[in-house]
Amino acid sequence: MVMADEEENGVSIQLEFPKGRVKKIMALDKDVKRVSSEALFLVSRSTELFLQFLAEKSAQVAIEKKRKTVNLEHIRVAVKRHQPTRDFLLDELPPPSQAAKPDKPTQPAGRPKLDPAPRGTRCIDQFFRKPEPENTAQAPGQPPENPAQAQSPENPDQDQAQSPVPVDES
Amino acid sequence: MADSDNDSGGAHNSGKGGKVLPRELDRFLPIANVSRIMKKALLANAKILKYAKETVQECVSEFISFIIDEASDKCQREKRKVINGDDLLWAMTTLGFEDYVEPLKGYL
Repeated sequence: MVMADEEENGVSIQLEFPKGRVKKIMALDKDVKRVSSEALFLVSRSTELFLQFLAEKSAQVAIEKKRKTVNLEHIRVAVKRHQPTRDFLLDELPPPSQAAKPDKPTQPAGRPKLDPAPRGTRCIDQFFRKPEPENTAQAPGQPPENPAQAQSPENPDQDQAQSPVPVDES
Repeated sequence: MADSDNDSGGAHNSGKGGKVLPRELDRFLPIANVSRIMKKALLANAKILKYAKETVQECVSEFISFIIDEASDKCQREKRKVINGDDLLWAMTTLGFEDYVEPLKGYL
C-alpha cells in the first residue's frame, strides 16, 4: 500500500498508535492500494475513539455486575448493546465457552481438593508417621497453636498436638 | 502528524527457533498502546483481564478493516485509486459510527 500524500498538512497531533502498524493493518485488505496521509490519520484517531468507547461500555457492564475487573463477558455484552459494533464484531469474539478462560491453571485431576479438617482434629496421616521431636513445626492440616494457652501454667500436661477449643469472647 | 512509528508491543520478536507466534503478527496494534487507552477509559481502581485486553486488541484491528473496506469499495465504485479523508468519514456514517464524524472533522 502506497501513501499518496505524505506531507503533514500542518497537522501536529500526537497519535496513540504507530502509523506503520496502522498502515500494515490497512494493507491486509488487498483492494486497498493507496491511502492519503489524511485518511491514515483519521483511521488512527477513529480507532482510538472506538477503543475508548468499547472500554467505557465494558467497564459500565462490569460495574452493573458489581465487578472491578473487566472480563470477556463484559466486552461481549457491551458489543451486543451497540448495533453498529454488534454487526461486525459479535461473530469475531471468541465463543462464550472460551469467555471463562482461567488465568491460572486448574488443579490436576489426580487428587481432588478436600475441605479443611475441623478444628481440634488431626489428619489421619499423622498416625502412620514416626513421632517427631517436639520442637519441630506442626503437622500439615492443623491450625496453628495459640502460644498463650499452650504455655498456661494451669494446664501443664496439655496435649500440644491438639489445638485448644476456641473460646467465644463476645 | 507526529510520526510515532515505534512499533512497541513486541510484534517483531520471534519465538524460539525463529518461529513467529500468531499473536506476534503485524495484524494487531501494540498491546501497550491498547492498554494505555483502556486504562484512561476505566475507573481508577478497575482492572482488565489480560485475555480481555488481547480480545480488544483484535477488535480494534477488525474495526480498522471494517471501515477501510467500506471506504475502499466507495473508491472502486467511483473509479478512484486513492482513499481520502472524506471517504473514511462517509464510511463511518454509513456503518453507524456517525458519532465519530464531528470530532474527526475538527482535525481536517
